[in-house]
Amino acid sequence: MADDIKELGDYSQAVVGEDLIFSYTTNTGSDVLAVDHVSFSIKRGEYVAVLGRNGSGKSTLAKLINLLEYPDEGKLKVFNLSAQDDDNFWTIRSHCGMVFQNPDNQIVGTTVEEDVAFGPENLSVPLPELAQRVQKALGYVGLLEKADKQPSSLSGGQKQKLAIAGVLAMQPQILILDESTSMLDPKARDEFLQLVARMRADKNITVIHITHDMHEAFLADRVLVLEHGKMRIFDTPQEVFSQVELITELGLELPKWAELLWEVAALCDVKVEKSAFTSEEKAIEEIGKILRNKKSDLKKSSLSEKTPLSEQIVLKVTGLSHSYDKKEQKAISDIGFDLRKGEILAVIGHSGSGKTTLISHLNGILRPLEGQVEVLDESTGTMISTAKNSEIKKIRKHVGLLFQYPEHQLFEDTVEKDIMFGPKKMGYSEERCKELLMESLPLVGLSEDVLKRSPFELSGGQKRRVAFAGVLAMNPDVLILDEPAAGLDPVGQREIFGYIQTLKEKGKSIVLVSHDMDKAAMIADRILVLKKGEQAFFGTPRELFSDKTDFVRMRLERPLLMNTMLKLKEEFPYADEFEFDVKRAAISLVNGSEEVSSS
Amino acid sequence: MIKDVSIGRYYQADSVIHRLDPRVKVFLFIVYMVTFFMADTAIAMITAFAVILYLTFLSRIPVMEVLKSVRPIVFIMLFIFVLNLFTIRTGEELWSWGILKITDEGLRRAIMLSFRLFLLILVTGLLLSLTTTPLKLADALESLGAPLKVIHVPVNEMAMTISIALRFIPTLVEETDKIMKAQSSRGAEYDTGNVFQRAKGYVTVLVPLFVSAFKRAEELATAMDARCYRGGVGKTKLHPLRMTKADYLWMVLLTATAFLPILVDLLWKIK
Repeated sequence: MADDIKELGDYSQAVVGEDLIFSYTTNTGSDVLAVDHVSFSIKRGEYVAVLGRNGSGKSTLAKLINLLEYPDEGKLKVFNLSAQDDDNFWTIRSHCGMVFQNPDNQIVGTTVEEDVAFGPENLSVPLPELAQRVQKALGYVGLLEKADKQPSSLSGGQKQKLAIAGVLAMQPQILILDESTSMLDPKARDEFLQLVARMRADKNITVIHITHDMHEAFLADRVLVLEHGKMRIFDTPQEVFSQVELITELGLELPKWAELLWEVAALCDVKVEKSAFTSEEKAIEEIGKILRNKKSDLKKSSLSEKTPLSEQIVLKVTGLSHSYDKKEQKAISDIGFDLRKGEILAVIGHSGSGKTTLISHLNGILRPLEGQVEVLDESTGTMISTAKNSEIKKIRKHVGLLFQYPEHQLFEDTVEKDIMFGPKKMGYSEERCKELLMESLPLVGLSEDVLKRSPFELSGGQKRRVAFAGVLAMNPDVLILDEPAAGLDPVGQREIFGYIQTLKEKGKSIVLVSHDMDKAAMIADRILVLKKGEQAFFGTPRELFSDKTDFVRMRLERPLLMNTMLKLKEEFPYADEFEFDVKRAAISLVNGSEEVSSS
Repeated sequence: MIKDVSIGRYYQADSVIHRLDPRVKVFLFIVYMVTFFMADTAIAMITAFAVILYLTFLSRIPVMEVLKSVRPIVFIMLFIFVLNLFTIRTGEELWSWGILKITDEGLRRAIMLSFRLFLLILVTGLLLSLTTTPLKLADALESLGAPLKVIHVPVNEMAMTISIALRFIPTLVEETDKIMKAQSSRGAEYDTGNVFQRAKGYVTVLVPLFVSAFKRAEELATAMDARCYRGGVGKTKLHPLRMTKADYLWMVLLTATAFLPILVDLLWKIK
């Protein structure tokens, strides 16, 4: 070991911050107070979730702890060592491991084992201990058989496990997770969280987990919420999430069961004790109590009928198969579905199930090897096939495709030029392009004053909107959206889903790729499930989650709201577990109970 | 898919040459360069070619694969051939037409030089690109370059840079593919129009690619910091280069082989 790294003494507080202040200067020259008079202490072995909107200072706070940044003012102690004392620098940093958001941007090694070795190599760990640590760490995360493979051959979930192994080999005492799960699909995310839980149990590691996921926050011992660099609350998740008004004010989300309780109470005009928000069981109990004691003269909220599916087919896929390499197995095989006018069709499947391959066919980026993709040309009322080269331009006019993280495709020096790139390429006149540009802005909540700015100086959420507008400005009838809300904070996600809903109401037909089961079930008219390139299911959410279909075999999780509703159904048989929107579910509960009590 | 693009033309096989310490291979490469340059008689060239055949046999790479490595420089070989053929005017005239003249000396030199280039390319392939992964090569250069640290050449950092570049090639290739698909969806065309229009079209790919590469670089630097990177100081290595007995043995043997063409030539002349 390097001689500037000392053995840690006994300590009870992993991190103690007193009045920490950190500010930085942005590219545009303004000073930002990223951490503003924050004081806190984290006990050894504790699991702390850090929540807050994008840009609230979460990552900066984390970076202070392992000395990637220095506080401007205030006192910071890590492992009971002063972080401001230069002699402690390597001791502190070498005992803090950090896993970042993007798996690709934290892998250094050309092979898996060399990446794991990178940390201990820097700590001057000699052979053979070095090799033993690498072996052990890879074994712990289950990547031993990949040791000599290139990192690019791993899946996203495996890459994050590799990142954990790289940290583990340094034998850390604090593990910092900076939105490490946000780019993973639900299965990979669960595995990752289980791994973290196992590390805590085995090694008494202190975990600091920055996340946007409220269900992840509930796994923590305590939750620290930041807003504009200020600490708003630092308490147990039960205490934090029982302060419903504060949660909404801070732009966070409640767990589904808490949201349901909140809605039911609001409908019945009842005040709920804070203690009811501490766990799902208590919430269900409380909902039961409210429903049983409800006043009989309560005004009934009407539950709007869902509009039936249009008869008009705007996109039709028949017997579609594709493989990238003739020797390989098929990426997708025998897919067949249709999309109706004004419909939202959700496409669901784990990573590697062929979602991207499928949607790349819908606007002719990939051409079918077998089968057919046809798009309705609304001006003539005929279907045009993507197989014909001459029709591709027309098809791209009708079908707009927005890939995951579309902000990575921006390239012009002003927002205006970037949004107008598509319409211009489609051959619209200058005036028509301007018109289309102006029409697209409000659809994604952008105002005109961003037009002259460079897209690269905008925030992540703003960039996403500009990219979205760039596709909308081509005025497509059909929109293909690949995880449009991925990586955004809850408020940002809600806004994006709001825009999608509005687009649907304007008659756009939408194919939505998502791995958020609750959102998909709530917003979609129909769902297509892909499993290993095959079409496992195509139908309404109600059909999908009814007991008749074998959705467990498809390795899908039920929507969380549905789980809560099923538990309520035991006492209230009229509870409709197929209402996937919290408001509608609450109304169904309140209305339903009235019918029973009046009969 | 373009994901499978690999750098260099490494040919996976289990052979003496593949297993050889990369530093030995770099050393041998230099020796072969020198001796092959010294060989300038027909008999030496033929012996050199025999040596190449022996190396090919040792490397267990099919002859066709080895020959493929010459393909990119066929044009240069032809150019050197033609240039020498017509510019060397000494010797007996074989053929002339106007100002063009070919002499026997010119023909000899033309054949010699282009054949020598051919041999040098084969030796480069057999000792380095075909049998050594780029990473091993970087390791070797880091180790051999260690003395340069005395004059403040950042040898470790240079090796780290090369290895990170290698690590990110597949990632950036994948990213290029993604961006092109996204821009195509917005109507960009990369396969139509004249050269200038196409070049302009690629701006839509290059700008986002550079922006993302810089962002990746920044994030990677932070991640490396977090994992206590501090240059080469005190850094240990998971797979340090170690010379074995076999490495020394083959080094001596193959160095001797490198001098065969000169030796044979000498013996020939004495006789």
